[in-house]
Amino acid sequence: MSRHVAPHLWADAFAGKLDAAQRAKLERHAKHCAACAKRRDRVRRASDTFPTLRVQSAPDLSWDGVRARVHWSVSSARRRAGHQGRSSRAFVLVGTVAAAGAAIALALATGPTPTLRRRPLAAVAPAPLTSQPQHTPDALAGLVSRVAGQVMIDGVRPTDPFAQPLGAGTVLATGDGRIDVQFGDHSAFSLGANSKLVLRRFDAERIELAVDGTVEVAVAPRAAGQRFVVLAGDRTIEVRGTQFRVAHDASGGTHVACQHGLVAVRDAQGELPVPAARKLEVPARGAVTKAHVAELSVDELEQLEQATPATLPLWTDAHTLAKSSATLEIATIGKQAVRVDGVELGDGPLHVRVMPGRHTVETADSAGRFQRAGWVDVTAEHATRLEVHADAPRTGGAAARRNQLRAGIDHARLARCTRAIAKQGFTDTYVRIEISIDETGAVGFLNVIDSDLPSTTQACVREVLADVHFKPGAAATFRDKIDL
Amino acid sequence: MLWGVKRETGSSSVVFGPADEADLIERCRADERAAHDELYHRFRRQVAGNLFRVLGDRTDLEDLVQEVFVIAFRGLDRFRGDARLSTWLYRICVNVALGRIRTRRRRPTAIGVSDLDAAAADPTHIERPETPEKSLERTRDRERVYRALEQLAPKKRIVLYLHEIEGLDLKEIAYLVESNPVTVRTRLFYARREFYRAIAEGKGQGEEEES
Repeated sequence: MSRHVAPHLWADAFAGKLDAAQRAKLERHAKHCAACAKRRDRVRRASDTFPTLRVQSAPDLSWDGVRARVHWSVSSARRRAGHQGRSSRAFVLVGTVAAAGAAIALALATGPTPTLRRRPLAAVAPAPLTSQPQHTPDALAGLVSRVAGQVMIDGVRPTDPFAQPLGAGTVLATGDGRIDVQFGDHSAFSLGANSKLVLRRFDAERIELAVDGTVEVAVAPRAAGQRFVVLAGDRTIEVRGTQFRVAHDASGGTHVACQHGLVAVRDAQGELPVPAARKLEVPARGAVTKAHVAELSVDELEQLEQATPATLPLWTDAHTLAKSSATLEIATIGKQAVRVDGVELGDGPLHVRVMPGRHTVETADSAGRFQRAGWVDVTAEHATRLEVHADAPRTGGAAARRNQLRAGIDHARLARCTRAIAKQGFTDTYVRIEISIDETGAVGFLNVIDSDLPSTTQACVREVLADVHFKPGAAATFRDKIDL
Repeated sequence: MLWGVKRETGSSSVVFGPADEADLIERCRADERAAHDELYHRFRRQVAGNLFRVLGDRTDLEDLVQEVFVIAFRGLDRFRGDARLSTWLYRICVNVALGRIRTRRRRPTAIGVSDLDAAAADPTHIERPETPEKSLERTRDRERVYRALEQLAPKKRIVLYLHEIEGLDLKEIAYLVESNPVTVRTRLFYARREFYRAIAEGKGQGEEEES
């Protein structure tokens, strides 16, 4: 035999699929061919391993935990099915009552004569109910835009939560994590930690979310006839276009905070509007009254701002966006705040849906200072992962870099930044910064860690400082106070 | 009608005939909680074992077991009884594993020796005491097999696994992968060539041969 033996023939030989003559022929070749002999030995070892693989039993799992999750998931689906059934039965019942009422009203209007009263009843009452074509609004689909920590969709911890658009009936639950779902242009919700949310209705006419826990919602102004409702226990929060938070705790208390726009909170007693920058905290069994409305503090507003659900631009529908975007996994070591393209996304490790292209990822260190973790190129429909390594801060060469910073500041630009506040008599201000410069002179990060400036002025000053050019030299990370 | 694959490693030792099975299925369909529990307890180890052996590691194994049972409980109404319940569950396992393999190919993960060690450490399948060297060698052999399996496309991998390792015939495999025996035979033909070539050349094991 001059040609080498195909490896699968060795497997056939060991499995007894070849006769003695064929086996002898193969062995004769292997005797003179070291490469084939080596391959034969490898195939033999693999074949010998199969019986041990066949008898491997499963490692011990937390069987009760799995059982509980299976039960939860199956029973949730059953409840959902039951609810839909009840809803449709309720519609039929309401329809019947309404039709009967209409018939009675019509009958009463026609006069007291018994013969006249009977005839219209028979002719009018049932016809509209059966012949009325049922209007079915277009179903909506949501797309997961961010996931961090433990998240379950329909009772299962999905291997790829970004894979499938979400529709009515979906149940989302979080452990120590959060999940963001976008369902329109600038419309999304974010389910906070230890919360559960059911998409009770999700169509063009009405979006109805039942929440147990905390949900942050950002809704673009709805078209006429569209309704957006959050159900928190026996209270209903309805909006037209706004950003707000609803928290419904286990004891029955409800907390609604409105960042902008207007929301209406309803319970059995009545309805109360909650305008922008106001919050409503209703205790369990408490009525929705004006007494429970208060102003949001600056800190609370900032918290709401930071909790804004992640959304992507160019929304047409969930399926199109799923094809034109991709997921980016940012694997941090432990919990670290993450910023992608300058937008804070919360604590990593996390997955976020992004548009194709190059993205800059920054992570915060233990002191909350952001520094560039790297950039990553993302292509549509291809999941990408970026591992963030913990780097020791660079501290050498600080004195030289500090001098370069001070010498390189464009004071004329700085003066323009502070002109407006100076006119108001607001002088002798400062910014305290932390900056990292590498060997090539590139700025790794620049954070304003303290300042008495208004935020717009502060941002302007930061821009000026960021434009300082550094020469190649020693890498340095240092803090400095710049008096203005 | 397919009444079961040849082997059911890890299944309950309790005798479980078709009559018991039909009764259990009926009770499950009637949403009897106790019946659900019984089905879960009877088949949980078998399901976990099937998934573990197909995939070769225990990453997310609990989630996958959960997925199999959720699919099974939701789909019991569609179970026509043309196969044993265990075979039907095996079919679900194969589909779930296939999905998992596809996802993993998009985000490759290495097979950890520790995963395979976990199985080796299970006292139920060590027949006699082994020397540490022998045990390590065995673990490495297993790892080589799974690394070679990783080289195959998901459908080929499943077919090859079921034929070469589980020892199932074409008809049984065709039922499990919801295909026909001719397709399975073709897939197996190419899968065996690719798999044994990978094994023979030591691909993915740091000992590649120069061809």
